[in-house]
Amino acid sequence: MGNDVKPTYTLDERGEVCPVPDVDTRRKLKEMKSGEILEVLIDYALSKERIPSGVKEIGGEVISIEEIGPSEWRILIKKL
Amino acid sequence: MDPRVQGLLVGILFGIVLQRGRICFNSAIRDVKMTKDNYLAKLALLAILVETVGFQLAAQLGWIKLNPIAFVPLAQIIGGFLFGMGMVLAGGCASGITYRIGEGYITAFVAAVFFGVTASAVRGGPLSFVNSWMGKPITTTNNPGGFYASKDGAVNLTLANLLNINPWIVAIIFAVILLIVLIFWKTTERKVSGLDWVTGGIALGLVGIIAYLSQKTYPLGITGGWVNLFRTTTANLDLTKPIPYNWMGMEIVGIIVGAYLAALFAKEFRLRVPKDPKTFVQVAVGGILMGFGAGSAGGCNIGHILSGLPHLAISSIIFTVFTLFGNWFMVWYLFERR
Repeated sequence: MGNDVKPTYTLDERGEVCPVPDVDTRRKLKEMKSGEILEVLIDYALSKERIPSGVKEIGGEVISIEEIGPSEWRILIKKL
Repeated sequence: MDPRVQGLLVGILFGIVLQRGRICFNSAIRDVKMTKDNYLAKLALLAILVETVGFQLAAQLGWIKLNPIAFVPLAQIIGGFLFGMGMVLAGGCASGITYRIGEGYITAFVAAVFFGVTASAVRGGPLSFVNSWMGKPITTTNNPGGFYASKDGAVNLTLANLLNINPWIVAIIFAVILLIVLIFWKTTERKVSGLDWVTGGIALGLVGIIAYLSQKTYPLGITGGWVNLFRTTTANLDLTKPIPYNWMGMEIVGIIVGAYLAALFAKEFRLRVPKDPKTFVQVAVGGILMGFGAGSAGGCNIGHILSGLPHLAISSIIFTVFTLFGNWFMVWYLFERR
């Protein structure tokens, strides 16, 4: 589902320590303009499950979470 | 069964629950403040509720003696604050960095080594002089119902023996308060692929009760286990005598094995390395602060929070409060200042 959407920005958060993926995602999303898409590459399951509710509060919406490898995901977030 | 084999088996169970529940006290405490997310906090509170009832029941049936951690005010205040700051830098609490080794986190391994070595230095090693700065434990001679372990008539302080009332009364009041909080505090939405907070919380609490029945002297702990592993492994041993690994040391080995098996089974094992080498320095400093804090305070987030709060031990209540402060201070410093 997320394949046809072109991300405006990409964050590679693979290997980062908890909660850096969450914090970086929030920081980036805050400075983005409405309609822009953020792609987050992540290998930390807790952050993957925590981000969807976490971005809602700052005007973001997770469009898709796609598994791209063993314990590796690509999350697309739209700034509302 | 040999206590060490029991420790290993309980550890494996603990590791599986930690991995499948993605249980981290650092996240639980931090998320409540940083993102107003209470998912893991509710899981932890539910586990504490289950244990509060379970420990009390086991004590009243005469299966165990309740053995709260010694109350040394400065140790729990300073130790708690340092531990709380340290776990933010290390990217996980004591149990978090332990089980994530089994998931393949190299940073967790680095943090755990610095944590274990520093805690060993503080507990009977070259840094043990710091304990004399903290002062002596404050104890009581009250032992309502005889449910507490005593040493020469001295019992470590809990709310119940401080008030000299049957520990059931305090336990039931605490459990009811926790239950009310759990029911009325709206759970943050989360789609989980592992255990949800209810299943995870009950499972974690049950592992804690099994641990108490198995080890007898105390339920789950992390700090003492790492100290035992490092000290025993590097000691000059008299090999005609049994090698002094203990229940808690083997529990640590079990946690790593259990988390590894759970991660492998769920296809979540993966060697993870941070891109910026500075991260290694950060987690090492975090491990040192945690080892210093938990070493002097008598326990970490497991010894004091998961296992100590259900005792309503004064030491654990103070430690928990200052761990929250330390965590929130470091979260503000690292992530919220700008």
